[in-house]
Amino acid sequence: MTKPLLSIRDLKVEFSTRYGHVTALNGIDLDLLPGETLGIVGESGCGKSITALTTMGLIPDPPGRIAGGRIVFDGEDITQADARRLRSLRGAEISMIFQEPMTSLNPVFTAGDQIAEAIMLHQSANRAEADRMAVELLRTVGIPEPERRAQSFPHELSGGMRQRVMIAIAISCRPRILIADEPTTALDVTVQAQIFDLMRDIQQQFGVAIMLITHDMGAIAEMADRVAVMYAGRIVEKGSADAILDNPLHPYTRGLIGCIPVLGKEAGQEGRMPPLAEIPGIVPPLHLLGQGCAFADRCPLAFDRCRTESPMLKGDVHKVACFAAEMEAA
Amino acid sequence: MSTIEPAIGGGVPEPVSPLREAWTVYRRNAPAVFGTLLLFAIVAFVLYGTFIYKGDPYEIVWAPQTPPGVEATVPLGTDNLGRDLLRGLLKGGGPTLAVGAAAAIITLVIGILLGGIAGYFGGWIDDLLMRITEFFQVLPALLFAMVVITLFSPSTITTSIAIGVVLWPQTARLTRAEFLKIRELEYVMAARSIGARNGRIMWKVILPNALPPLIVSATLTVGVAILFQAGLSFLGLDDPNTMSWGLMIGTNRQYILDAWWPVTFPGVAIFLTVFAVSLVGDGLNDAFNPKLRER
Repeated sequence: MTKPLLSIRDLKVEFSTRYGHVTALNGIDLDLLPGETLGIVGESGCGKSITALTTMGLIPDPPGRIAGGRIVFDGEDITQADARRLRSLRGAEISMIFQEPMTSLNPVFTAGDQIAEAIMLHQSANRAEADRMAVELLRTVGIPEPERRAQSFPHELSGGMRQRVMIAIAISCRPRILIADEPTTALDVTVQAQIFDLMRDIQQQFGVAIMLITHDMGAIAEMADRVAVMYAGRIVEKGSADAILDNPLHPYTRGLIGCIPVLGKEAGQEGRMPPLAEIPGIVPPLHLLGQGCAFADRCPLAFDRCRTESPMLKGDVHKVACFAAEMEAA
Repeated sequence: MSTIEPAIGGGVPEPVSPLREAWTVYRRNAPAVFGTLLLFAIVAFVLYGTFIYKGDPYEIVWAPQTPPGVEATVPLGTDNLGRDLLRGLLKGGGPTLAVGAAAAIITLVIGILLGGIAGYFGGWIDDLLMRITEFFQVLPALLFAMVVITLFSPSTITTSIAIGVVLWPQTARLTRAEFLKIRELEYVMAARSIGARNGRIMWKVILPNALPPLIVSATLTVGVAILFQAGLSFLGLDDPNTMSWGLMIGTNRQYILDAWWPVTFPGVAIFLTVFAVSLVGDGLNDAFNPKLRER
C-alpha cells in the first residue's frame, strides 16, 4: 500500500464553550494518499470543517484546542509544529478553498493581485514575475481572457469565476494537498459540475491529493476515491467510494444516500416522483452527547446496547461503527 | 501548457476599482462638490498668504478700529491696535489649517495602531488597550489639551500634538470595531490559509477594507481640530508669535462691543473651513457607503 501523505491519528479537538468543554472531534483516524480524492461527508455540525481547519492549523485557539492525537504530514507531526513552520506549510504544501467564493476574496484587490500575493509569500518571485504567473494560473483554471481578468475586482466576477480564482490561489504554489471545504455548495448546479471538472483536471495535472468536504452524496459519487462518513465528531463509516455508495453499512450513511433526490418516474407509479427521504431529527448539540452511539436517537435500528455503549470502528477495508451492522454481518 | 478549457463567458467589461466607483458617486453629490471647491478656495487663499504675500500681520498700518470698507489700504479694517485684518487672515490661515491637518494625522496614526491591534488580537490585549482608550476618553478634552500645552511651550507643533492626543480615542474605537467585524470574514481566513502572517493580515488585508469610514472620520476630525485650536487660542494658550485665526479672535474678543469686525472675519473664516471640511467628509461617507444614502 502507498505511504499516506497525510495521516491523522486519534485526533481530538475540544472547544471551551459556555456549556463547558465540548469535544468537537473525538478520535479521528484518516489517511490521505498522494493524488487521491478523499471525501468527508456528513451533516452540518459533524466536525467536517473542524477536521479541515485543524489540518491547516487554523482552529481558533482559544476557544479551540487539540486535546490529543497526531496529524502527520510527510513524516512530520504538524500538531507539534510552531506558528512559523505552520505558515510555511499553509499555501505551499497544504492549501484550502472555501465554501463562499463570494466572500473569500478580498474586495479591494484585483484577482491578479491576490494570486500574485500568494505567489510572493512562498516563492522568490518579484512583482512582475508573480503577475505573469498569476495570469498563467488564471489561464490554467480556465478563465477566458486571463490578461484582462487579472485586472478585475472580485465584485466583477461571477460565483463560478471567483471559485476558479480561489482555486488558482490555492494551487499557485503547487501544494501537495488541497482541502476543499464545500467548494460548490454556494454555486449553481451547472457551475458545480464545471468546478468539479476543473478540480479533476487540476488533480491530474499537478498530482495533488484532494480532501473534499461536503454534505452532498452526489458530490462524493462524482469525485471521491475513498470516503469517510462523520457524525457528531466521529467517523462512523469509512471505505472506498464504490463500497460505501453501493453497500452502505451504517444506518446514517444509508440515510444520507436516501436523501439524494431521484429524477424520473418510479416504476408502477405513473407521473409521480418518489417522495424524498429524510433522516428524522438533527445532529445533537455536542454538549448534550451522553454515552452510547450519538446517532441512536435518530436511528431506525437502535436497540438497548446502542444507548449505553459507543460502537468502535471495525472492519478491514470497509469499516463501520455500528452494533446493528455488526449483527447483520455476523 | 494547459488542457483545461476556458469557462464560457462573454466579453470582459472594463474593470472598475472601488475607488473609481466612489469618485463617480462623489462628483454627482452637489454639496460635496461645493465643499471641495470651497476648501480649494480657502487652501489657495492660505497658500497665497503663507508663501507669496509679504506683509507682516503684526505691523500697525492704520488707525485702530478702522471699520471695513472705509479705507482702501485696509479693506477689512483694523483691530484695536491698528493692525490689518486681511493680513491677519492671510497669514493666520496657514497655522490654523496645519494644526487641523496635523492633529487629524496624529489621531489617525494612534487610533489605527491601537484600535487595529485591539480589534485584531482581542482577548486581554483588547481589554488593556480599550481601558487605556477609555481613560483618555473620560478626561475633559479641552482641559487635558490645556495641560499638555502648558507642560510644553505653546507652538504649532505642541498644539497639534495636544489636540491629536485628545482626539484619538474615537478613531481607535472606530478602527477596533471595523477590525472586529472584518477579521471574521472569510477572506481573512483565506489569507491565513495561504500562510500570511498577522502583520500582513492586519495592515494589508483588513486595513484597506476598514479605510473608508476612517477617512471620513479623519476628515471630520480636521474640522474638530480647527475648532479646538481656535478655542485654545481664544483662551490664550497658543503661541502669540504665530498668527492664527483663533489668536485673532482671542486677542480682539474684549473689544467686541466697540468693533464687531476684528472677531467676525476670522470667525467666518473658521466657520467656512469647518463647513467645507464637513461637506467633504459627508460626501466621502456617501461615496464609500452608497447604500446608506437611501434612508
